[in-house]
Amino acid sequence: SSTDGPKSAHFDICSKNLKYKFSENAFNTNILKRHSGQYYTLPPTHIQKLFPYGLPPRFQLQIKTFNEGCVMVRPPALELISYLKRADYSKPPLRYVLYGDIGTGKTMSLCHALHYCYSQGWLIVHVPDAHLWVKNCKELLPSSSRPSRFDQPIQASQWLKNFKITNERFLSKVQLERYVWTKRESTEKGQPLGELIDQGVNRMKSSSDVVGAVLRELRLQAGGATEGEGAFKLAVAVDGVNALWGKTSLKKEDRTMCEPEELTLIHNLRKMMKNNWSGGAILTALSQTGSVFKPRSAYLPSELLGEEGFDNMEPFVPVSVSNYNEKEFESCYLYYLDRNWLQHPHSRSEEGKKELIFLSNKNPSILERLCAFL
Amino acid sequence: MAASVRHLLKPWTPSLCLMRWSRYNPYYLDPDPSKDARVPESELSPEEKELQELKTVSPIKAALSSDTSSAFNDPLISKFINMMMHDGNKILARGIMTQTLETIKRKQVEKYHKSPAAKREEIECNPYTVFHQALENCKPIIGLASVQKGGKSYQVPVPLTDNRRRFLAMKWLITECRDNKHRRTHMYEKLSQELLAAFTNEGNVVKRKHDLHKMAEANRAYAHYRWW
Repeated sequence: SSTDGPKSAHFDICSKNLKYKFSENAFNTNILKRHSGQYYTLPPTHIQKLFPYGLPPRFQLQIKTFNEGCVMVRPPALELISYLKRADYSKPPLRYVLYGDIGTGKTMSLCHALHYCYSQGWLIVHVPDAHLWVKNCKELLPSSSRPSRFDQPIQASQWLKNFKITNERFLSKVQLERYVWTKRESTEKGQPLGELIDQGVNRMKSSSDVVGAVLRELRLQAGGATEGEGAFKLAVAVDGVNALWGKTSLKKEDRTMCEPEELTLIHNLRKMMKNNWSGGAILTALSQTGSVFKPRSAYLPSELLGEEGFDNMEPFVPVSVSNYNEKEFESCYLYYLDRNWLQHPHSRSEEGKKELIFLSNKNPSILERLCAFL
Repeated sequence: MAASVRHLLKPWTPSLCLMRWSRYNPYYLDPDPSKDARVPESELSPEEKELQELKTVSPIKAALSSDTSSAFNDPLISKFINMMMHDGNKILARGIMTQTLETIKRKQVEKYHKSPAAKREEIECNPYTVFHQALENCKPIIGLASVQKGGKSYQVPVPLTDNRRRFLAMKWLITECRDNKHRRTHMYEKLSQELLAAFTNEGNVVKRKHDLHKMAEANRAYAHYRWW
């Protein structure tokens, strides 16, 4: 592992175990429990393709500053990956829900597990933050296909563009059905998926319906072919699932509040969350920070999902994410020292470290914000 | 003068609760929040021993709520935050300061990681040293005062006290960032750009300091108008 910064005696011994660089072919498959607490480097090509938008904004800043993207291997992500390895993909997909207090690392664990799926060659359907679809939408058009629904063309076309970047390999897949968009435009049976996505990106008006069509196609095809060409596993990753069953802050033209069911994107995503298809996995994470009308102290699935959401998501596998323990805190502290991030001389002393533990309570996001200006 | 001081030194019991902003008696000592280890008696010089004894006996002023006993507390940064503060919104001012320090550190650490090993020694990544050094580079050495002589007022070069120099440097930094920058950039961005420029002796604030020095040099002839 590279160490170019200032070193102290104990740091030297620990730094050899700090970062484990995996070889190109063995991404994530060899990750074991004993690597817990160590940092795993995400290759830059993968970050560009898989996460053009999916990582938390402060982590993106960190990648830019340190010139590398390193994720800490933590028990929730390890648990998720072990379940993914052992699941039976001929049966309906399992739903995994990451829950925990604010700033404990749910989104990062989700991204880690998603990277595992990507490196195994799965098809990724990633909604980085479902809350962005239920609030602050500038354009809310009445849907072209169904009278009581509303479209969000900007969000839908943005999502289609990102989907295209992530899943370039799968764009030549053949699709099954015939879709009619307007009197003159329709996509015929047997056309590749790439054309469908281009249709959605170019014609903003029908982009939300295109998203629905894409999701439907993927559901039908995921469990279809068993071996050989055309077989793929589908990973559906949604951050902020509680947005699908909560309230929106959008208003219709007659100034009444919009329900989530009336939005095309949300309606289609809810269909995706049901386990009536096979050949993949549904990874989700709850989030209070972007949610609308939820108190800050709510973090359990029953509180954030509400009755309706819980009934829809049940049965699911809950995975709890908590603050750093001592070993992980040590590892994070050493990583910051290694990257020359902790500059204040007092923060490098033992007393300063105790102060950091006290001030942040070993919460990952608070520790990151503290160390930013020290 | 002796009579008024003697009046203050008359027997006075601290039965009232003194607020920070009222005038303290001169024999009140400033609070020292640092947690420095006590130096044993033998190593103190006689003046320091006297000072220690005074501390045990005389009353001490109330500490500010922004002072902490941790070593992360920096009096210069606190002063700068107070100067930036508007309408008593200390939370906002402190937030801007921490964001500024973070931005400075990010820019420098990014440069550090992208440069080859030979040049890494020269890049200063510690935002606190950058801030202190930038402030030093902005402090004027000599100032101008307006003196009226024979009906006309002249700009006379005058020495400045340390406090005045520090105040002028901070004031110039803040006004420069508030007025002369693009309106849509955040304050912390503007501040970090100015501080990094001042660190290398470039930028508008250092230019203003140099202009003041040149004016003082030009008005050298009037130096003897100063009587203090």
